Amino acid sequence: MTADTTGLDVEKLYAARLHAVSARPYLATALYALHIVESPRVPTMSVDRHWRCYVSPRFVDRTPVEELASVLVHEVSHLLRDHHARSDRYAHAHDLTGPGERLRMNIAADAEINDDAFGDGLLWPEGAVLPSTLGLEPGQLMEDYLGQFRLGHRTEGMAWLDCGSGADGSDREWDLGPDGADGLSEQQRDGVRFLVAQGIAGRPGDAPQGWRRWAKEALHPTQPWRDLLGAALRAAASAPGAGEDYTYRRPARRSTALPGIVLPSLRRTPPKVSVVIDTSGSVSDDELGSALLEVAAIIRAVGGRRDLVTVFSCDAAARIAHPLCQAEGLTLIGGGGTDLRTGFTAALRTRPDVVVALTDGQTPWPTHQPACRTVVGLFRRERAWRHDDPDYVPDTPPAWARVVEIG
Amino acid sequence: MTVHTLRPSLPTRPAGSQLDVAGELLAMLSEVQTEPRRNTQLEALTLAVAADLPVLLWGEPGIGKTAALTQLAESLDLPLTTVIASVHEPSDFSGLPIIGDDPATQGVPMAPPDWAVRLVQAGRGLLFLDELSTAPPAVQAALLRVVLERRVGALELPPGVRIVAAANPRSSAADGWELSPPLANRFVHLQWTHEHDVVVRGLGGTWPRATLPQLVPESLSEAVIFARRAVCTLLAARPKLVHQMPTTETRRGGAWASPRSWEMTVRLIAFATAADASRDVLSQLIRGTVGDGPGFELLTSIDRMDLPDPEALLADPAAAELPTRGDLRQAVLDGVVAAVRKQPERARWNAAWSLLVKAVETGAPDLVVVPATTLATLRRDNWEVPAAIERLAGVVSVSQSADRAAARVAVEAGR
Repeated sequence: MTADTTGLDVEKLYAARLHAVSARPYLATALYALHIVESPRVPTMSVDRHWRCYVSPRFVDRTPVEELASVLVHEVSHLLRDHHARSDRYAHAHDLTGPGERLRMNIAADAEINDDAFGDGLLWPEGAVLPSTLGLEPGQLMEDYLGQFRLGHRTEGMAWLDCGSGADGSDREWDLGPDGADGLSEQQRDGVRFLVAQGIAGRPGDAPQGWRRWAKEALHPTQPWRDLLGAALRAAASAPGAGEDYTYRRPARRSTALPGIVLPSLRRTPPKVSVVIDTSGSVSDDELGSALLEVAAIIRAVGGRRDLVTVFSCDAAARIAHPLCQAEGLTLIGGGGTDLRTGFTAALRTRPDVVVALTDGQTPWPTHQPACRTVVGLFRRERAWRHDDPDYVPDTPPAWARVVEIG
Repeated sequence: MTVHTLRPSLPTRPAGSQLDVAGELLAMLSEVQTEPRRNTQLEALTLAVAADLPVLLWGEPGIGKTAALTQLAESLDLPLTTVIASVHEPSDFSGLPIIGDDPATQGVPMAPPDWAVRLVQAGRGLLFLDELSTAPPAVQAALLRVVLERRVGALELPPGVRIVAAANPRSSAADGWELSPPLANRFVHLQWTHEHDVVVRGLGGTWPRATLPQLVPESLSEAVIFARRAVCTLLAARPKLVHQMPTTETRRGGAWASPRSWEMTVRLIAFATAADASRDVLSQLIRGTVGDGPGFELLTSIDRMDLPDPEALLADPAAAELPTRGDLRQAVLDGVVAAVRKQPERARWNAAWSLLVKAVETGAPDLVVVPATTLATLRRDNWEVPAAIERLAGVVSVSQSADRAAARVAVEAGR
């Protein structure tokens, strides 16, 4: 780190960084990668998306080392968590413009960071925004918070809040921009982020919950289950034998015009889908309802006619499934028992192209691969515990099924 | 087959007709300017095409994949042939079976379509297979054979023909397009996105013109050595990364690491190095070949490979040049101390101190605290403390100041 040092007490800032690194060793790479720029125009300290940290000399003068360390950790957290890009995406998706909305994003990003950033060797900086300041539950993401509060009396004191373009994505006049000196390129930023995430994932004991979740997301990003379930179901329902494909069973219409040439014809075979709902009493109505609606919508999208879709349900689920199926015009065949295997057996009797099982996985699985493709929508659960057998671990879904975790 | 031309030229009509005026208006609309602008995705595509690897562009419909291909074909000086997969039948790609007089003795020839014949006759060209994902499965299967085996019916495409395929992302493909892991492993997957600024400026009349990477003949052998070393250094240290089949639903159909895709990576690194492409381009290519996780590990390993060797630094501390970026400098200093620990000798210990002094004089002192503390513990009884150590006074005061801050926080927490 080199800095233009006229009025800035760099030694104090370095001491703060050293303190921050010893309190949060897993953030060392990121803290050292920050490029410090002196800027009298910044109210306190702010970052841009190229990993430059603009520091006001007056702020450094009047702030004790331990608080500077906390602010440094806070600012670098914005960059590691990619808040500027996430703000841009959120603004884009919700069509938000204006400085007020960007301030709201800065506040929400602060709430995401601050709920477990401090303590344990780091001082709580004065006036740090917490989820509780906004009257919200801790442990959520910036996007979740953004949907839950408006600027109002709770946020009045935060109007001065400014963590820079690195936090909320809108450019500031003091930013050096992409062509300025000593910025990190996109690949370098990804590299730093990856190293930090790997460090946290390697020693998860040291890091608080929020950072561990972030590291997991950074290394293995998850996709929304709706997309995955849709893709799995579409792939299963349009694989050879079902859906729209060419076949030599009948000659093509072009054949009469081209004697001597054998052409396949395009045939449409709508997929026959059986949905097996297994609730051993532990799936919530909401979860089941949304999953079932999703399945119905996807089947419709791939061209499945309603008479080709059957739903098999255990008695416990009938209460939710019945009205839904009626509304969707699906056939409900009840009474599969509480064992997923009986549900599968019943479903396979109708010779479907695809079986979709919606289950929480606390069940024995069929031992043989059924003669059709299988998609399992698995409701995510904490480890199950049984009174009679404390060491009980439910079987994982078999390898031949395509598993999509729901929720 | 659709051959693309960007600006349709209208035939001249009698003066004064409405169509004439319309033609004038169209001509004015098609008058656009271009400006140079870096485009990493186009650079990555160019290098992958030059490396003759099968490329699969993933992108939503209507975001300018075809326009990019047109520019690429222009710059590589190859005629462009665009084939829209969804309007073809499988036999258009696997060849039309033609029954002759005596199939038992002559066999049934598979006649290739006209565009393939013309490509073979030209001997060179850029074949763009668009909308792979909206075609029925049998057509997709036939097309994959074209991409991977370069065969259309009985014809084999000559080496001068380069092939690029495009598909819509899994979430937006209505017909369940999906690659099985073995197929996905053969492609370089490039994500095609649009940039908001570029589109707005383009619709205003100024489209970007990318300067494409050029291979430099002088750096070829160096590039090959670098590429092999980059991949081998990583894989020697991390054997687990050699083969990583995707197991979760999230990663299906994307890039994953296997000996085959690592071999493709070596080729792409060599091409990127020979063309002196930026790290962002290299990053897209590597992650599109072996996947995000192994790709990032390789990129970080390459970054670390560029750092000065600790042994070389210890041999000549006066000439040492330390990186300016804080995290890289920290990695170098840690490496130096680790090297001294591995082989503790008085001369090396002294050299390490001079390196630390140099680090303090050219950069931030807090980076030196941990290496200096560790180095001090490596001291043997008969080694004298070097005089240069006095110049580390700044380090001591920074370190003390941080310690005092930590103590104050501890007191605060105890209250």
